[in-house]
Amino acid sequence: MTAYVVRRLLYAVLTFIGITIAVFALVHAVPGDPVTFYIGAHSAHNLSQASLDAIRHEYHLDEPLVAQYLYWFRGVLRLDFGTSLVDHRYVTTRILEKLPNSFELNGIAFLIAAAIGVPIGLWSATRSGRPIERASSVFFFLLYSLPSFWVALLLMELFSVKLGLLPTFGMTSDEYLDLSAGQKLVDHARHLILPVITLSYAQIAIFARFTKSALTEVIRQDYITTARAKGVAPQIVLWRHAFRNALIPLITLLGLTIPSLLSVGVITEQIFQWDGIGKLFFASILTRDYPTVLGLTVVTAVVTLIASLLADILYAMADPRVRLEETAA
Amino acid sequence: MDGVKRFVVLLLLAVVACTNERPLPTVSTADDLKKPQEGGTIVRRLQGDIATLNPVMAQSVNDRQVDFYLHTPMVHFDAGLQPIPGLAEKWDISADGKLYTFHLNPNATFSDGSNVTAGDVLFTLKKIVDPQTEAPQIAGAFDQLDLRSTHVIDAHTIAIGFKDGISPQLAHFNDLLVIPEHVYSRGDFKIDFTSKVVGCGPYRLVRRVPGQEILLERRPEYWGPRPNLQRVLFKVVADDVTAWNAMKRGEIDETIITTDTWLAEGRRSELQKFIDFRRFYTLNYNYIAWNNRDPILGDKRLRRALAMCIDLKSIIENVYHGTARAMNGPFTPDQWAYNPDVPVIEYNPQEALRTLHSLGWLDTNHDGLLDKGKKPLKLEMLITAGSLASNPFAQLFQAELKKIGIELDVVPLDFATLIQRVLAGNYQCAYLSWNLDPDPDPFALFHSSQFPPRGQNLVFYSNPEADKLLEAGRREFDQTRRKAIYQQLHALLAADQPYTWTLQVSSKWAINMRIRDVKESKGWGLFQWFPGELGWWIPIDQRTHDVPPRRR
Repeated sequence: MTAYVVRRLLYAVLTFIGITIAVFALVHAVPGDPVTFYIGAHSAHNLSQASLDAIRHEYHLDEPLVAQYLYWFRGVLRLDFGTSLVDHRYVTTRILEKLPNSFELNGIAFLIAAAIGVPIGLWSATRSGRPIERASSVFFFLLYSLPSFWVALLLMELFSVKLGLLPTFGMTSDEYLDLSAGQKLVDHARHLILPVITLSYAQIAIFARFTKSALTEVIRQDYITTARAKGVAPQIVLWRHAFRNALIPLITLLGLTIPSLLSVGVITEQIFQWDGIGKLFFASILTRDYPTVLGLTVVTAVVTLIASLLADILYAMADPRVRLEETAA
Repeated sequence: MDGVKRFVVLLLLAVVACTNERPLPTVSTADDLKKPQEGGTIVRRLQGDIATLNPVMAQSVNDRQVDFYLHTPMVHFDAGLQPIPGLAEKWDISADGKLYTFHLNPNATFSDGSNVTAGDVLFTLKKIVDPQTEAPQIAGAFDQLDLRSTHVIDAHTIAIGFKDGISPQLAHFNDLLVIPEHVYSRGDFKIDFTSKVVGCGPYRLVRRVPGQEILLERRPEYWGPRPNLQRVLFKVVADDVTAWNAMKRGEIDETIITTDTWLAEGRRSELQKFIDFRRFYTLNYNYIAWNNRDPILGDKRLRRALAMCIDLKSIIENVYHGTARAMNGPFTPDQWAYNPDVPVIEYNPQEALRTLHSLGWLDTNHDGLLDKGKKPLKLEMLITAGSLASNPFAQLFQAELKKIGIELDVVPLDFATLIQRVLAGNYQCAYLSWNLDPDPDPFALFHSSQFPPRGQNLVFYSNPEADKLLEAGRREFDQTRRKAIYQQLHALLAADQPYTWTLQVSSKWAINMRIRDVKESKGWGLFQWFPGELGWWIPIDQRTHDVPPRRR
């Protein structure tokens, strides 16, 4: 098991270095630099060339790309992504300010999606092939294919503009600071509802379909038939015999879902003005704030890496064959 | 339902009245509601978070919106965008135009209670022009500053010298927001003042929650004319659709709206009951930049012929539904430099074709395209990808040109890529727009010394006659004489067509009707002139954002 984990970790480190190179190259392949942003953003009088040169120099934009990469990578190893071109503060500080907000939103969305999606999947697995199950699977495919920005706007139109039940945007109300602790919690929760629904509805569909197909696969296997033939109660067959094996593909899914939540979050956070890293990402791209864009991309990449590493390890724990095969190889 | 709501509101008000020490607004007479009253909170929208509260480092229009409350500029603009006293009570300009003597308002204080001195002005100027400050926009406005001849005369008088005496300089003092040396000389100038501020304006900062909101409060001891609103709450709402929804719910009091929203929702009676829909022109225009160095486009007769193929009337009607207007040259009708006698180029493809024939462009091989010396007439126009303004325009122009045998290749590019190609002169034509400064001087755009990277003569236009007028216009300090020069220049540029000026698209805003005395300036719309947003007020019975805690 240790050898397996160490090998996985090594792969992760190599992947990480590869990611930094790819991300850096991609961001710099986009034409225009932060200085062209200044030219675009301002009006018809001339800019100060001396100031522009000072910016180019401070951010090493006047040096070859490889040198720029090395400067940056040295910083990344120390968790220093440089300073933002917009407000000159440390990118790490800027990201850390927003990260808890994104984790909160995405974490809740993820838990809700799993809590609703997995039981639905189990339910449909036991009713596989029946009309009700077919209907529900069509419904979940439809749900999955709805674009999130559109759903978000519909939700906002209905629940906040038409019905006036929920706030339109933001994380708290104007008078938040004047509220008592209990009221604060309620106020914040009300602001969470629409973004959480937006983030989780597609995930529910994925969880439901994935659980269902995994479980259906397992149920078809001989040892389940054997268990049933022995006269074990159907519930026990499902839970004790089938579910544990069905979990294995689900673990992979968890590894894939977390990063995708972060990327869908960019749109959701932008629409609901949730002050997380998605919103920061959007703003930074528009202003060509290279250091922040790079920092956020690396952070997202690291989260993805950790998620898939965890999935690999959990996979090995759940399924002895995985670690045995690895050792044999 | 309504009854229940009202009951809940009453109950809440009762609870508030019991628990909150702040007195409830008293019932007012009808007369009280017609004249400006003090107090109240406005909720304004920021289209994106500010970069910093340090006014010298200000980058975007968002920063400027907030700074306008916190700092009184050296020179304000009135509703006609003419310079009027701000922090400076009066000023004198030397005969050669190189030395400006400003007399500061002796009562002016910063929000920390200290006096505003000439030394603070000098400190701010030094910070602005220091390349290490990395503020290229405002540093550009003071590019000609001569620190050797700039000196403090006494505590409230400063002489500011320039290497070159030009009349547009005065308007740039609107960008000079003076900061106290004793505060801003300590710590890291670039990062220590992103969320705190000491200014000499009518408001002070209560709090800034980065990414979310900024709350300002009126300074009771403010030295100038006192504004009415007690508090200004800025909410960051980057998304236009979200902002519009928040506007409809009364969560924010003002927002810019898109032409689509204007057309779709502006006539709905239930919205007109509480939303004031405003439309006005600001100092910006759209234009086709013709690369004057291009072998084909170097000929002004050909540029004029191409301009004749733009059906502006139809574009204004069909694309903007009448919410845009045609341009005839480098100045907009709101600027004093504007020449009303210059005609807008008429849509006339037949005449354009005759001109092209006379220039030797004929369809000799009968392939439907005009050609000369066996080369077909093909042009490439760069437009900004995803721009709502460029796309319909480019398609209509393309269709018109095709009718007379010219192939226009429309290339949508990311703005940064586009501007890089334009600055390098690596293009034929591009559809662009400018935001203009309050002073009309277009020297940086059309003078032959201003080819990029030195200036912004993106079209590489060079005409000695225009150069002479551009130089004379900025040397002249008398506005009547300047006007005569610029009107001449206007006619000359319209004749030369270095650009083909197309449209001014109006700016559209929605304002909650509880906000009173919302007035427009000539060219800057609702904001940043005096009194502008500082003259707004809210009737005492409509202070919906003032009763915490509030339930929605």
